[in-house]
Amino acid sequence: MADISPHAVVEQGAELADDVRVGAFTYVGPEVRVGGGCVIENNVTLAGRTVLGRNNHVFPMCVIGAADDGPGAVIVGDANSIREHVTVCGGPAEPTRIGRDNLIMIDCHVGAGALVGDHCIFANCTHVGPGAAIEDYIRTSGFTRIEQGVTVGAYTFIAGFAGVDRDAPPYAIVQGFPYRVRGVNAQNLKRCGFGDEDIKALKQAFHAVFNGQDDQPSEKAIRKLSRARDINPRVAKLLEAIRGGKAGEGS
Amino acid sequence: MAELTVTREIDPSARIAPDAVIGPYCVVGPDVIIGPGNVLERRVSVTGHTHIGSANRFEEGCVLGAVPQDLKYRGGPTALVVGHRNRFGRKVTAHIGTEVGGALTYVGNDNVLLDGCHIAHDCYVDDHAHLGHKVLLAGHVRVQSGAVIEDLAGCHHFTTVGRYARVGPRTPVRRDVPPYTDFYSRDYNWLPPAVQGVHEAGIRAAGLSQAEERELRRTLRELFDDESALQTKIEQLVNMGVEGEVAALCEFCQRSLKGVFGRHRETFRGRTPPEAGERMPSELRWALPGQ
Repeated sequence: MADISPHAVVEQGAELADDVRVGAFTYVGPEVRVGGGCVIENNVTLAGRTVLGRNNHVFPMCVIGAADDGPGAVIVGDANSIREHVTVCGGPAEPTRIGRDNLIMIDCHVGAGALVGDHCIFANCTHVGPGAAIEDYIRTSGFTRIEQGVTVGAYTFIAGFAGVDRDAPPYAIVQGFPYRVRGVNAQNLKRCGFGDEDIKALKQAFHAVFNGQDDQPSEKAIRKLSRARDINPRVAKLLEAIRGGKAGEGS
Repeated sequence: MAELTVTREIDPSARIAPDAVIGPYCVVGPDVIIGPGNVLERRVSVTGHTHIGSANRFEEGCVLGAVPQDLKYRGGPTALVVGHRNRFGRKVTAHIGTEVGGALTYVGNDNVLLDGCHIAHDCYVDDHAHLGHKVLLAGHVRVQSGAVIEDLAGCHHFTTVGRYARVGPRTPVRRDVPPYTDFYSRDYNWLPPAVQGVHEAGIRAAGLSQAEERELRRTLRELFDDESALQTKIEQLVNMGVEGEVAALCEFCQRSLKGVFGRHRETFRGRTPPEAGERMPSELRWALPGQ
């Protein structure tokens, strides 16, 4: 039987797995499903059509699934840590999706219909706008703002106070508002098991494409790099992301 | 206490002074000690080995003693200690320490922490500090006495904000802020913040003697009007003989210069900082690594 505090409110219709823990003064709405091993601490609100996978830890004062207009849906994968005061809006049309193994720190906000990949770490007060797409292994620093509908490529680091106002490339360090690409996120790539060769190739590509000053990537450099015969697969992915309007272009 | 049937969840093994006020929808965990005269307003959550002194005030939605947001934390019994007469604004969060960082997060006395502040694992906030709205302290940060950090500023891991210094609003603090200085950036988008002058209110608040104040102002001008060759200038000053606040300022800057990226506390990375041993209350000393 789930360990539910006598002070918690679990509406009829909510489906909680057997080993879920629910803290005091937490509200679980009627259309909510919570997977095995989840810990929902005190004063949390799970509203709307919210589905939590297994082994998630939701800390006090979070609000998940409440929507600005009408009921919305949130689908959360496994083993996420959602810290205090985080709000995840429910998507009224498309569900808001959060992958697995993410750490979403205090006071972050994930807007309606946003897609968050796997293994991301959002530092405090990161705001992910509605409909934004965050790929895997993203790291953000404090007070980062990712605007509505923007895609952030995998393995990218977003520096503190940055505003991502248009699509951001993968593997990058971006900083400022409007953001500029400041280099390759080599530290994170190393941690994620990238080889030295890949990192070196990426560094060369970044050096050619982004000069750290202009907002736009260099078209000439992209053309030149993509003509190369034995192109590094990581670099190919980077170029594809940039060319596909997925990064660097004004939106 | 003339309270109505108020819903709150207090663990029977928590030790709470009889005159402490615990508001509705508060949650207090088993290893918590709450001293006399504390006021926990509505929806305050206190867990972990959290020891709260006396006469503090915690406003709505504070979360104290939750586990650190640090992937190094292994779930050990670490502590959060809060002194006396602090004001915690709404939604302030303070975490317990990590095993490798000294196992202690510490907030001293008479501090004001406005809404949304975050005191991360292994931070030390001394006395009489003022943290504006949503000031984020990353892990292992030390805020010394009398420092003022304005709204929305964020301190990087292992930074120190010196005594009676001021950090401007929205400032990313990536290196140590020397005592009595005013630290901000002239162009937040592209210029890194730097020492921009003397924190006048801080010097007044410190109540220095006239001679000491004159000497301190002269030193601050000399060191920070042009920050080049800081090391040499400090060495010259120390060789000529300094005392009191000026000596403390020189020592602070020298330590920062010896640290990594201008952060003295980086030298404590992966080990217990000296503050942990000094400030861990005797009943929690077992939590110190190596005890």
